[in-house]
Amino acid sequence: MDGVFGNLMLGFSVAMQPSVLAYAFAGCVIGTLVGMLPGLGPLAGISLLLPATFGLDPIVAIVLLAGVYYGAMYGGSTTSILMRIPGEAASVMTCIDGYAMTQRGRAGPALAIAAIGSFVAGTFSVVALMLLAPTLATFALRFGPPEYTALLTMGLLVLSYMSGGSMLKTLAMAAVGLLLGMVGIDAMSGYTRFSYGMTELADGVGIVPVAVGLFGLSEILMTAGQASPPPVQQPTLRQLIPSAEEMRLSIGPITRGSVVGFLIGIIPGAAHIISSFVSYGMERRISNHPERFGNGAIEGVAGPESANNAAATGAFVPMLALGVPTGPITAVMLAAIMVHGIAPGPMLITEQPQLFWGFVASMYVGNVVLLVLNLPLVGIFVNLLRIPYSYLYPAILCFCVLGVYSVGNSVVDVWIMLAMGGVGYVLRKFHFDLAPVALGLVLSPLLELSVRQSLAMSGGSYGIFLDRPIAITMFGAAFVLILLALKPLIFKGKDWRHDVGLDEPAAE
Amino acid sequence: MNDSVSAGAHARGMRGDHVAGAVLMAFSALVAWENRSYPLGSLASPGPGSVPLMLALILGGLGLLIIVRGAASPLLNSIEWSEARRGFVLLLACGVATFVLERIGYRLSMIALLVFMLGVVERKKPLPTALVSIGFAYGSYFMFATLLKVQLPLGPWGL
Repeated sequence: MDGVFGNLMLGFSVAMQPSVLAYAFAGCVIGTLVGMLPGLGPLAGISLLLPATFGLDPIVAIVLLAGVYYGAMYGGSTTSILMRIPGEAASVMTCIDGYAMTQRGRAGPALAIAAIGSFVAGTFSVVALMLLAPTLATFALRFGPPEYTALLTMGLLVLSYMSGGSMLKTLAMAAVGLLLGMVGIDAMSGYTRFSYGMTELADGVGIVPVAVGLFGLSEILMTAGQASPPPVQQPTLRQLIPSAEEMRLSIGPITRGSVVGFLIGIIPGAAHIISSFVSYGMERRISNHPERFGNGAIEGVAGPESANNAAATGAFVPMLALGVPTGPITAVMLAAIMVHGIAPGPMLITEQPQLFWGFVASMYVGNVVLLVLNLPLVGIFVNLLRIPYSYLYPAILCFCVLGVYSVGNSVVDVWIMLAMGGVGYVLRKFHFDLAPVALGLVLSPLLELSVRQSLAMSGGSYGIFLDRPIAITMFGAAFVLILLALKPLIFKGKDWRHDVGLDEPAAE
Repeated sequence: MNDSVSAGAHARGMRGDHVAGAVLMAFSALVAWENRSYPLGSLASPGPGSVPLMLALILGGLGLLIIVRGAASPLLNSIEWSEARRGFVLLLACGVATFVLERIGYRLSMIALLVFMLGVVERKKPLPTALVSIGFAYGSYFMFATLLKVQLPLGPWGL
C-alpha cells in the first residue's frame, strides 16, 4: 500500500504540473462539447484530436485524450436530459428519465445528480484502476504468444456475447474487422496482402479513418437533414440543487452503477454503452416502484450515468496493464501512446511509471475539473445547442476530413474514411454493431502473430494451447461463453439482452 | 404486441437479414478469391494466406447463419431510407473535396465543400454561407497548421 501511495505522489507531481493541468482542463472542456454534439461521440472526438497530440509530450497527450473521453461521457448526459438527444450512445438510457424530469421542471436536479454520479463513479473507478492495473500487469508478465492468443480469442467472444445486438452479427463484424487488419505487410513472411500496389496500404488500414468513418461520418449521414432541435432549458445554479429525497434515492444507484460499470468496463466491447443499459435494467428491477421508471425517476439518471463513467475508466485497466484495447476508443488511445515510441503492455507500468501514475493522478484531477466545470457552467455549455444543426454538421464533416488527413498526410486515409462512412451507414440500417469492426482491425495483427508464433514455438503442435494453464483457462471461459450464447438459440429462450432492454427490433 | 410481431414474422417478402447475410457471404467469397495468390502453408506452419482464408470461411458461415435465422428480422422494404439521398450527396461532395484537396489546397477545398453543403444542400443565404465557409477554412487552418504545426496541403496558389 505504501508503494501505491508513493507512486500516486509521483503521479500527482506529474499531474499538477501547469502544462498537464492545462491539457487536462482543455480535454475536459473539449470532451464535454464533443459529448454534447450529436454526430461527434468520444471516439470521433479522440480520433480527430489525435494528430494534435503528435507534437506533445506523451503524458500530456494521453491526459488530453483521456479528458476528452470522460468529458464526452459527461457531456452526453446534458443533451439527453435537456433535449432527449443522446450526444453519444452511452447516454441513451439517461434520455428516458432525464428528459421526463425536464418536462416536470426538474432538469436542474437531473443534471446535478448526473454530475455527482459521474464524479463519484469516476473517482471510485480511478481508485480501483490504481489498485488493479499494477497487479494485473505483474500477472501478465507470464503471458507468451499462446496466452495472448487465448486472451484475444476470449476478448472477441466476450465482445460478441456482451454486445448490444445479435451475437451472430457481432461475430460477423468482428470477422470483417479482423479481415481489414490483414491488409498490409505480414509480419512473419513479409508478404504484402490486399494492398493492390498502393504503398499507403503497406502499413495496413489505420484505426483512425476506420473509426471516424464508422462512428462519426455514418452518424452524420444518419442525422443530416433532421429537424431543428426544440428550445433548450437553461437551469440556473439555484435550480440545480436536488431535494433531500432525490439525494437519498440516488445514493444506491450511484453506488451500484459505479461498481457494475467498472466491472463491465474491463470487459471488451462497447462497455460504456452496455453498462448504462445494465444499470438501468438493474435499478428498475430492484426498485419498489418500477412504474416510476420512464416517468422521471431520478434513479434512472443516477445509475446509468454513474455506470457509463465508471466503465470509461474501467476500460483503461486492460489497456494499461496488458496493452490490449477493449474497444475502439482505447485502441485509438493506444495508438496515441505508440506514436511516441512507447510500447504498451505489462512492462509499461514499471518502465514508464511517470506515464502510468501521472495518468492515474490526472484522472483524479480531471474528475474534479469536470464537476467544477459542468455544474456552474452548464448554462453556458447549452448555448452550443442553439447552433442550428444545419450549420453544425457541415463543420463536423470538414473536421472529419481534416482530422483523418492530418494523421498521416494521406488522401488514401480520407478515402478509407468515406468508404467506411458509407458502409457504416448501411450496416446501422441493418442493425449491425460497428464497434467489433474497429476492435477486430486493431487486434487482428496481434492475434495472427501470436497464433503463428505459438505454432513456431511448439514445432507446429496445437497442443501448446492446451498445455499452458493460463491459456487453457481462458479458452475454457471462451467455450463457456459460446455455450451461453447457444443456449437461447437451442432452447428458444431469451438471453441477457432481453432483461436489460437491448432486444433487436422484431419483424414488422 | 406479440400478435403483430408474429404476424410480421409470417409476412411475405425479403428480410433485411437475408440481404445482409448474402452480402457478407459475397464479401467472404471475394476475399477467398483474392487470397488465392498468397501461400497457405500447412496446418503446422500457416502461411500468409491461411488466416485470411480461415476468416473468410468463418465470415461466410456467419453470413449463412444470419440468412438462416433471418426470418424474424424486419422486412427489407420496412427499412427507412429517407435520409439516404442527402447522405449520398454529402458523401459525394466529400469525395470531390478529397480529390481536389492536394490539388488546390486545404483552404480552397474546405471553402468549396462548405459552400456546397450550406448553400446548395441546406439552402442557406449567401452571406452566412460565405462567412461560415471562409471563417471555418481559415480558422481551422490557423488552429491546426499554424498553432499545432500539422502539415496541410497548400495547392498552387498557396491556399
